[in-house]
Amino acid sequence: MPRQYEAVYILDSTLEDTAIQEKLSRLHALLGAGESVTVDHWGRRQLAYPIGRRENGYYAVARFEAEPAVLPEFERALKLDEGVVRYLVTLHEHEVGAPPMSEEEVAAGRSRGADDDDDED
Amino acid sequence: MRRPQKSCPFCETRVRFIDYKDDRTLGRFLTDTGKILPSRLSGVCARHQRQLATAIKRGRYLALIPYIRGHQA
Repeated sequence: MPRQYEAVYILDSTLEDTAIQEKLSRLHALLGAGESVTVDHWGRRQLAYPIGRRENGYYAVARFEAEPAVLPEFERALKLDEGVVRYLVTLHEHEVGAPPMSEEEVAAGRSRGADDDDDED
Repeated sequence: MRRPQKSCPFCETRVRFIDYKDDRTLGRFLTDTGKILPSRLSGVCARHQRQLATAIKRGRYLALIPYIRGHQA
């Protein structure tokens, strides 16, 4: 059964935009997901801490549907790619189409939280 | 003497899932040194505090928020 995933990549910020596009589409081809990949380009931004000697990275967020079986091969390709500084693949299922919490749910959480009050100092 | 219970900022805005990519929000729940702020100080409910902890750890890995703040090597 295919599942919904979200992947965040930090790519080498010195790469050309066209090279980045090309690299991502090549990687996404491994997923066998076809056109269902939506990519959100954040562009270059400063890293919160240096990774190696890098101070900046090109961020891209991809959402896709894929079979879990194809992920090991996909992640292997990401690891081997020199242009990918870092990546994170997470399940995105529960967030899809989830409505904001209803009043009842908030109230239920509140009454539950009232009992297990942590000891305050 | 019990202090009045603070209400959870995530419940108030009806947040269902905390986004690890939202560095502005995550940053509000870090101490000056970059530690995760205890829920006893922020008033975040247990359910959201668990989500928040995961989100902060993911955000740190992706260099969106720092592991340590105010440390110059």
